Amino acid sequence: MDTEMEDVNNGGLRSLEDIKLVMEYAKIDPTEVKPVVQSVYFSEELDNDAVKFLEVDDAVLTALEAGDELVIRGEKTESAVLCTGSKTYDIKEAEMSNCMLLLSDMVWSKDLPDKGDQAVNYRKVTSVLQNYFELRPCKPKVKKLKMLLEKNMYNGKESEEDEEHMDEKYTFQDLLNLVQASEAEITAALKKLQACKLEGYWRVLHFDFLTQVLNHIIQLSEENDWLRSGLPLEDCCQTLEELFPRPVIEHVISCYADKMSSPTGTEDDDSHMEIDTAFYTLNEDKICRFFAELCLRNAGKFNLQEFLSVWEQSVPSGMKTYLHQVEGMALINRSSKPEVIWYFPAENLPEDVGERFDSLFRTREKWTLDEIAPYVRDLTTAKVDVGGLLLKYARSSLHNGIKVFNSRKLVS
Amino acid sequence: MQIPIKIPGGPGQCPEWAIIDLQGGLETRNNVSLNGRFMGDLHFTHKNVPVLIIGHHILYGKVCDLEKPFAVLTKKHSDTDNDTVLDQDNTDKQHTDTHYLVKAIIRRRLLFKTRPKPIIANVPKKL
Repeated sequence: MDTEMEDVNNGGLRSLEDIKLVMEYAKIDPTEVKPVVQSVYFSEELDNDAVKFLEVDDAVLTALEAGDELVIRGEKTESAVLCTGSKTYDIKEAEMSNCMLLLSDMVWSKDLPDKGDQAVNYRKVTSVLQNYFELRPCKPKVKKLKMLLEKNMYNGKESEEDEEHMDEKYTFQDLLNLVQASEAEITAALKKLQACKLEGYWRVLHFDFLTQVLNHIIQLSEENDWLRSGLPLEDCCQTLEELFPRPVIEHVISCYADKMSSPTGTEDDDSHMEIDTAFYTLNEDKICRFFAELCLRNAGKFNLQEFLSVWEQSVPSGMKTYLHQVEGMALINRSSKPEVIWYFPAENLPEDVGERFDSLFRTREKWTLDEIAPYVRDLTTAKVDVGGLLLKYARSSLHNGIKVFNSRKLVS
Repeated sequence: MQIPIKIPGGPGQCPEWAIIDLQGGLETRNNVSLNGRFMGDLHFTHKNVPVLIIGHHILYGKVCDLEKPFAVLTKKHSDTDNDTVLDQDNTDKQHTDTHYLVKAIIRRRLLFKTRPKPIIANVPKKL
């Protein structure tokens, strides 16, 4: 056994004399070092598993210090992520060959006196670690949200008791337990999915049901000339309330119409206790896009010219259809004869960047920038825009004078 | 499932702890446990250079800011005290109880990355 260590154990803690002796052997001049020596011991309760080191960047640390709670989210089959109120991070373990000795009570050089009598203080190492956890900013993993909500879509109050609507429903709290994203990101994703909070549960409307509601709203608007003058929320809800629950009507209006700025000006927030006199105008692009989806979603490949005329006839009178309205939802093949269009919604594509590009290049070998951009835009980050993504995942070439992108690898 | 991480005692209450960063590992002879053992004497020169004497070796180091700080976490209320990827248990109640506390923040470390120098001396006393 190491005799030095035995000495210590038998004789208790190191004395100043022990320390001075070692300094002499080590040729440390006492005038060159500060008078206080910190003699370091391993704790009797040394426990290397008692703590974890989590590497935090400024944003996370600031949030933590401000009293915000960080949350680790994930089911046991998923790899854990950490969320602040607004961001999501992948948690990765990093191992090192160094070892880090953790001391809770060490005094830094600057805080030690420069002069005075020599003294010894005893310090304890409570854990020795060779790993830590690092955080990498990542995209919220919200694809699962769509999958969860589509298990039990809302199809009107009458059908809620049907067998097919007995599946799970989710509150926001449930979703926080299941979806690996921050609260703000889940809220944004719910909005994008056009999910609606009904009796406490977040639901997406069944497409057929949505069609019914929207058609009623449009019909009512046409009858009352609301397309031009604006749609009064209250009147509209009162008329349709017999048919659909009010929150559903309000929700559909908020998805397909924009609130008109109130003519009285800006100071309405706190002074108003009157009846809600909000007016909405139907959003032409969103309505046209909806009708395009209605035509395309169960149609397979559609002759483009036929589609354009059917589509134009289906939208409310006065509204005009443009192909840019279907971007990210349908693809057009201009080289086939006749030209065709088919339903190809971006939201059904994989969430992972690599898989997304594979899937896109499987669908079509060469894409122009305008064609592919709507299908990858949601993958961009503050640092990498669409151009950056294409640079990494695609190869560009000129095809009949037009720049096109194809896969960097062989796609099967 | 969700596991919260929080600073106990509210904002601004988090102490700063230190780490000594050594290249390689520390071992005792014959593999005795380190618990309760003396590790070494830590001196600081007047120029704030840390000097660590471990056994018959002397190490000169430096004080480094961590590029990103570490939060020191301890896990509370859990059966299997393992990792961030979580217990096998399925009862929700159990999980809501599990949480991490931030015991301290580490912003600086004492880094000893140079090769230890041996201390050459006459053997002071008989074994």
